[in-house]
Amino acid sequence: MSQYAFYLDMSRCTGCKTCVVACKDAYGLDVGVAFRRVYEVVGGSTTKDEAGCISSDCIVYYMSLSCNHCAKPVCVEVCPTRAMHKDPDTGFVSVDTEKCIGCGYCHLSCPYSAPQVDPRKGHSVKCHGCAESVLAGDSPVCVLSCPARALQFGPLEQMREKGVVAEVAPLPPASHTLPHLFVTPCRDAQPSESDQVVVGNSAEVQ
Amino acid sequence: MISGFETALGEITLVLFTTLAPTGALAVLCMGLPLIFGSATDRDIARLNKYLCIPLVVSMVGLIASATHLGNPANALYVFASIGTSPLSNEVFAAVLFLASTGLYWLYSFSEKAHRTLLRIWFIVISFTAIAFVVSVGFAYSSRTIISWHMWQAPVAVMCNALVGGPLLTLMSYACAGCQLLNKRKGVQLLVVSVGAFLVNAIVYVLQIRDVFELSNSMASVSELVPLYWWALFAFVVLVGAALVLAWNMIKRLPADPHEEAIVVASRSNMTLIVGLCVATILCLAGIFIMRFCFYMSHITVGLGV
Repeated sequence: MSQYAFYLDMSRCTGCKTCVVACKDAYGLDVGVAFRRVYEVVGGSTTKDEAGCISSDCIVYYMSLSCNHCAKPVCVEVCPTRAMHKDPDTGFVSVDTEKCIGCGYCHLSCPYSAPQVDPRKGHSVKCHGCAESVLAGDSPVCVLSCPARALQFGPLEQMREKGVVAEVAPLPPASHTLPHLFVTPCRDAQPSESDQVVVGNSAEVQ
Repeated sequence: MISGFETALGEITLVLFTTLAPTGALAVLCMGLPLIFGSATDRDIARLNKYLCIPLVVSMVGLIASATHLGNPANALYVFASIGTSPLSNEVFAAVLFLASTGLYWLYSFSEKAHRTLLRIWFIVISFTAIAFVVSVGFAYSSRTIISWHMWQAPVAVMCNALVGGPLLTLMSYACAGCQLLNKRKGVQLLVVSVGAFLVNAIVYVLQIRDVFELSNSMASVSELVPLYWWALFAFVVLVGAALVLAWNMIKRLPADPHEEAIVVASRSNMTLIVGLCVATILCLAGIFIMRFCFYMSHITVGLGV
C-alpha cells in the first residue's frame, strides 16, 4: 500500500488562507463547510512596567490543517456503516456517500475536526486529498495555490524527510491517530497540549 | 467565547433519545418481572401485557427521535455492517433487538391462545435485550478521542438514569393497568430501587462534573462549554427529588393487601394515582433531560474538536 502525506513549513506559512479559499472554490463548498482550515495560534502578553516601558512577548503562528489521512483514523473506527474508510491502495481516508447516514460520529470523534456533516447533502464530507489529481500525477488544489510554497503533498517517505511529525499546538499528540502530517516548526511553535497558546480565531474555524 | 449550547441543540434528538429510551427499556423489564417470577394471576398478566405499550411507546418515541438526526436515514441498514466494532452500530443493533422482541411480544400477547410459558420465556429474552440496550446506549459515544465522554461515569450515569426513571414509569403503567400487582409493598419496592439509583446517580454526576471540569483542548475547556453544569445538577436533584416525593405520596395511599385491588381500580382515587405518577415520571424525565443536555454540551476531543 502506498501512503500520501502533507507537509507544512510553518516558518513559511503567513496565514493568508489562500489554501482554504482555493479548496472551497474548487469543490464549490457552501458557507460553513471547509475541507481545510487555518488556525491562528496566539500566546504571550503585553505589559507596562512602573517606568511606563511597554514590553511584549506575544507570539502568533499559523497551522493550515485538513484531513491527515491518519494511519489510525478514529473516524473509520467509529463509523457505524463503514462509509468512512481508508483506501488500501492509496491510504486516502474518504466517505462512501452511498453508505453514509450522516450521523456525525466521525465529526464528533476526529481530533482535527476534519470530517463534518454537510446538512445540504445529508452526509459527511471531508478532504479527499484531491485523489484524482494526485493519482494523475498532479498536486492537491491547496498545495498548488499556496503562494508561500509552505504546503506540500506527496508520498509518505518523501514528506517525512522534509520535517517532523506534527506535534505542535494546537494539534494533539500524534499517538492518538498517527496523522500523516509533517511540519517544519516555526520559531515560536509550542509543543502539543501547551497551555502557553490558544486558538485565536476559534469563531472562524469552529 | 465558545459555548456547548449549539452542540447540544444540534444533537437535541439524541438528548431526547437517551432520556426516554433507557427509561422505557427498564420499565419494560420491570413490568415483566411478575410474569417471569410467576407472581401474577392470568388476569394481571393480561392487563400488564396490554399496558406494556406505555413504556414501549416511550422507548420508540426516543428511537424515532434519534433517527431524525440522521442526514440520510435511507442508508440506515448499513449500520449493521459494523456490529462489534462501532459502538453506535452496537447500540442500534441492541435497540432493534429490544424493540422488535418487545413489539412482537406485545402483539402476540393479545392472542386468545397465548401460552403462559412461552410468554415467560419470551420476557426473559426481552429482559436481556433491555439490559443490553441500556448498556449499549451508555457506551454509544465512548470514543477514545472524545475525552469528556470517554470516562466511566458516562455509561454509569445512563444506567442510573434508567434505574431512576424506569421504576417510576413502571408504577405509572401499573396504575394505568389497574392491576392487582399495584399494592403498597410493590410500590415501595420499585420506589426503593428508584431512590437508591437516584442517590448513586447524583454521586456519579458530582464525580463526572469534577473530572470533566479539568478537561480542555486547544479550542475550549469544558468549564467554558458548560458553565452552568453544577446548577444543572442542582435542577436534576430538585426535579427527581420532587418526583420521588410525589410518587411516595401516591403509593403510600395504596392498600397493603393486594386483594383490595378492586377498591383501587373502581374508585376515583385511581385517576389521582395515575395523574400523580404521570407527573412524577415527567418531573423525573425532565431532570434526566437536563443532565443529558449538559452531557452533549460538554463534548470535546483531544486537539481541536468541540
